[in-house]
Amino acid sequence: MASLSEEVLLVVKRVRQRKQDGTLYLMAERIAWGPEGKDRFTVSHLYADIRCQKISPDGKAKIQLQLILHTGESTTFHFSNGSTALKDRDATKELLQQLLPKFKKKANKELEEKNRMLQEDPVLFQLYKDLVVSQVISAEEFWANRLSLNTVEHSLSNNSKQEVGISAAFLADIRPQTDGCNGLRYNLTSDIIESIFRTYPTVKQKYAENVPHNLTEKEFWTRFFQSHYFHRDRISTGQQDIFSECAKQDEKGLNSMVTQGVKNPMVDLLSLEDKTLDEGYGTATVPTTSNSSNKSLRENSNSAIIKRFNHHSAMVLAAGLRKAEAPSDQASETSSTDGNSRDSDFFQLPLKKVKLQESIEYDDLQGDSGRKTIALNLKKSDRYSHGPIPLQSQHYTTSQDIINSISIIQHEMRNYKPRLTQVMSSNAASSAITALSPGGLLMQGGAQQTINQLVPTDVQIELKHLYTAAGELLRHFWSCFPVNTPFLEDKLMGHLEEMLQAAYSKFQVWQTRRMMRKT
Amino acid sequence: FRLNIEGLLVYFPYDYIYPEQYSYMLELKRTLDAKGHGVLEMPSGTGKTISLLSLIVAYQKAYPLEVTKLVYCSRTVPEIEKVVEELRKLMDYYAKQTGVKNDFLALALSSRKNLCIHPEVSSLRFGKEVDGKCHSLTASYIRAQHHSNPSQPVCQFFEEFDAVGRQVPIPPGIYNLDDLKDFGRRKGWCPYFLARYAILHANIVVYSYHYLLDPKIADLVSKELAKKSVVVFDEAHNIDNVCIDSMSVNITRRTLDRCQTNVETLQNTISRIKETDAAKLREEYRRLVEGLKEANVARETDIYLSNPVLPDEILQEAVPGSIRTAEHFVGFIKRFLEYLKARLRIHHVVQESAPQFLKDIYEKVCIDRKPLRFCAKRLRSLLRTLEIADIADFSAITLISHFATLVSTYSKGNLYDYDFHQKTPTIANPVLHFSCMDPSIAIKPVFGRFQSVIITSGTLSPLDIYPRILDFRPVTMASFTMTLARTCLCPLIVGRGNDQVAMTSKFETREDFAVIRNYGNLLLEMSAIVPDGIVAFFTSYIYMENIVASWYEQGILENIQRNKLIFIETQDAAETSMALEKYQEACENGRGAILLSVARGKVSEGIDFVHHFGRAVIMFGVPYVYTQSRILKARLEYLRDQFQIRENDFLTFDAMRHAAQCVGRAIRGKTDYGLMIFADKRYARADKRGKLPRWIQEHLTDGSLNLTIDETVQLSKHFLRQMAQPFRREDQLGLSLLTLEQLQSEDMLQKIAQIAQQA
Repeated sequence: MASLSEEVLLVVKRVRQRKQDGTLYLMAERIAWGPEGKDRFTVSHLYADIRCQKISPDGKAKIQLQLILHTGESTTFHFSNGSTALKDRDATKELLQQLLPKFKKKANKELEEKNRMLQEDPVLFQLYKDLVVSQVISAEEFWANRLSLNTVEHSLSNNSKQEVGISAAFLADIRPQTDGCNGLRYNLTSDIIESIFRTYPTVKQKYAENVPHNLTEKEFWTRFFQSHYFHRDRISTGQQDIFSECAKQDEKGLNSMVTQGVKNPMVDLLSLEDKTLDEGYGTATVPTTSNSSNKSLRENSNSAIIKRFNHHSAMVLAAGLRKAEAPSDQASETSSTDGNSRDSDFFQLPLKKVKLQESIEYDDLQGDSGRKTIALNLKKSDRYSHGPIPLQSQHYTTSQDIINSISIIQHEMRNYKPRLTQVMSSNAASSAITALSPGGLLMQGGAQQTINQLVPTDVQIELKHLYTAAGELLRHFWSCFPVNTPFLEDKLMGHLEEMLQAAYSKFQVWQTRRMMRKT
Repeated sequence: FRLNIEGLLVYFPYDYIYPEQYSYMLELKRTLDAKGHGVLEMPSGTGKTISLLSLIVAYQKAYPLEVTKLVYCSRTVPEIEKVVEELRKLMDYYAKQTGVKNDFLALALSSRKNLCIHPEVSSLRFGKEVDGKCHSLTASYIRAQHHSNPSQPVCQFFEEFDAVGRQVPIPPGIYNLDDLKDFGRRKGWCPYFLARYAILHANIVVYSYHYLLDPKIADLVSKELAKKSVVVFDEAHNIDNVCIDSMSVNITRRTLDRCQTNVETLQNTISRIKETDAAKLREEYRRLVEGLKEANVARETDIYLSNPVLPDEILQEAVPGSIRTAEHFVGFIKRFLEYLKARLRIHHVVQESAPQFLKDIYEKVCIDRKPLRFCAKRLRSLLRTLEIADIADFSAITLISHFATLVSTYSKGNLYDYDFHQKTPTIANPVLHFSCMDPSIAIKPVFGRFQSVIITSGTLSPLDIYPRILDFRPVTMASFTMTLARTCLCPLIVGRGNDQVAMTSKFETREDFAVIRNYGNLLLEMSAIVPDGIVAFFTSYIYMENIVASWYEQGILENIQRNKLIFIETQDAAETSMALEKYQEACENGRGAILLSVARGKVSEGIDFVHHFGRAVIMFGVPYVYTQSRILKARLEYLRDQFQIRENDFLTFDAMRHAAQCVGRAIRGKTDYGLMIFADKRYARADKRGKLPRWIQEHLTDGSLNLTIDETVQLSKHFLRQMAQPFRREDQLGLSLLTLEQLQSEDMLQKIAQIAQQA
């Protein structure tokens, strides 16, 4: 069967289920169990359907593993292979532990997505109620069609939403708590971890490298908090530390940011001074600070703190901006590590001009005339006043024509003489007017009183629902063509007909109800 | 529109005008009429530059013979470029109104680094490198060598300029730095030398202070500027320090060692030349006898700006015979060098005045005062004769020669002082500081030569101190306030924390835990209520480092980070630039940020925080200079003896002008608004408060003198809420913004007369 092509990750023999011996298979996407000597699975669960696993306590005689599904059902496996049962069970457990979260995320995401869609769209919700809750079609079928339809749309709407930046104080939120016995406890939430990763890509890299091969997650974070990288005011003592590389990377990033210089010439302190005094002139008695050996340890750590704050703020700022720009250009990959998020000085000159102009402008001194207007530049003023015209009908009225026609009309008006003999009688005229005015003979008509006044609202709403539901079913129906898979064929032949039938009967019910109400 | 300023037709390129601009122009006109000097204080953001330019350009057009040139000195490169852009706007307006094509030539001049278009040279990063490289391509003997040996590289842009550039005058127009470069590229001429040449006949020159104040540069660049020029020093609140810096010299052992190698190189070169080309040296000898005479003639005929390094009496004499030949001069320098080395070997601090030094040098090594004075001049001549290509290599010996000339020329107001910087505990590293005590020496030639010198800035209070320390007599001194339709600045003096502990950066209590905590709380509270950007200034870099460290330990910074991002000025300019840009980015995108910075630092001097870039400025403490320095003490003594300025007055004046500079950074115009928080109880005292500029003092009510943090927060909230209301032109019109008709009404003119306060 199809299962043969699947990758089998683990096979455990002698597993009992419902008092039957059998073999448990863990495959790439599902877990399955088949009874001894038979060729098919009687139990098969997709990982995505599994909510959690439970194991029996260690001391118990029966070594069991229970799977609980999202639907609430559960399946229990009993490992009965004597001596190795415990080992078998643990191996299964470990593997499941690794596999489940992967699928869980996916499942959760889908679930969330569905929920969100139902909440945001009342029509869809109604449809869902009509079709799924009343079991006309299954939920799967309902969504199979919907989700793919909506992912594009959805991803668009999601992008237009503003990305939330990172709180600058996220590190401060991880206040260490003393646990009473000479230790510290840090509380990490996934939000904080994400903030750390987004702000410090190097840490994320380290995490990817080391977890879970070399360290467990817990160990990783413990080391993170112990490292001087986190406590930047402590001077590195040169001990082996996986984060020393991060620090170096940061240093490099900071340096590259500095050497890249600034784009706004108004804040470039380097080019501020026009003519610095030569060495040896001036009263500045500041001794050269480049010599670090004469600096005390404290001074060094102080300047490290300052550097760190600058870097941290720049990174937080960049992390906020990076998200917004990521889809627009792939090149931001390189810039993301140094915290600088924009392109280099290609636009230097115009930018300088703009900044200069900005800084000399006094908008309150300027009159309103200073407002920028765009001059209308017409290549052919003719076309502007006449608009686009199909080429064939070149012949439009010129102003001369218009003047002529006006004079003709004037002329005719002057010569107008009413022919009183052929006029309708006043009686006939007035009756015609009454007949034509609202409420008159000709202006009556049930046409105005449409169905929305005749039918009570609840019936209307019901009809509407029926209509959309039927429409949805028809959509399902038509989407089955061309019928090129057995599944579609099955769907078409089997239950779609059923479904339509159900819909008809519903309509019938509605019809009769309406009739009853009418009579 | 067009204005009538006491009979002068002034074109003003806007539709509206601030009343204080009108008043400012009035005072300026009177100063020019009297052909005297002026000190004018007007708050930044009230259009000082455009007022200055409008009036002076109008004056130049009306009386072309009275005022031939405007020399506009500003401090930083962006400032210079801004001025030129404003000038361009004005000139465009002239052209539009009068229909006559602009016949003015205005240009900006900056160092080679900002003007060079040579592909190799301009790619160098530091100004000094650019200068050195440029010199090695353009020096006259290099070019002479190029004639005989075409493989010798020269700068084709300079060659091109030298060949044709001088004959063809640069067409009238406004040339900013980039325009000059463009023009240079189009013509293939060197923009730097073009600009230097063109300033002689330009109507308006915009450049930095140093081109006029630093004798070493002024001698090269500004020597031939016309006497009938108007000189404007904008942002001049620090002008005394610029003067002093340009006349002071520091000598370390390293300098002396490098000088030693320089001397050796010179010796070798001389002996080599003697063998090959003795005539050259003889020629130089002859020139020295003649040369100074010519200079004297030139000065008498009033062509040159005098050089303070080369005082008048030197010109009347020839270079003394003892150093006239090259070998003798080198020997002389060697002797002088040995003497300095001996002096630097001592192990305690010595302070002595110029005459003492000269006496000592005469007794020890028999060096007379007179040849010392000619040192700088003589060295320059020698370097030229010896065809030394890379001047940058000889900076050490040049420095020594300048020192020699300065020390022997200005016996008054100078001082040396041997200082020990304990770099490592065992090796003493003495430094010889030659400090100029008297800023008036450097600026004297400027006041003496040009008919009108205008000193202006947003913060010059108290006005009377500048004429005293710069030693000149102004004809006008005025301080203008800012007319406001709404009080858009809110100065508050915070004296106490919520725990009533006094907040002050006074030396005794500045490291106090409570003070630091209160400062932190103030910043924290403000970060929660002020939108967008906050700038905080500390009194010194070290103090900031300490406070940041202890705030970090106390977790205050973390709490601040919940509200805003934090950026901190560092001692590295590139790093700070980066932080600044990120700070602006954070203000721009709505996150809000705090910039921690240092008074007297680069940020406080050159960067504006307009609108949302600075909604609040917090000044932590009073930014006094480091008073324990001996040089400062000596200067204070000098000020007391010479100008009768008391030490404390000067120190407070100096501190307050820096504080005002810092807080003034936030307000750049009438549509702008900002909080100014002075976090030190000492600001409340009358002697401090009285030294703030009038436009800040006016808004400092008695109710805002000694606030606690809570009260400050309350007042700030109120202020910010008010300022957030829409502010339209109609609100301003007639009060702080005038149309032409309003300006001409009688009672408005009367009101305007009150804006200027004569000092």
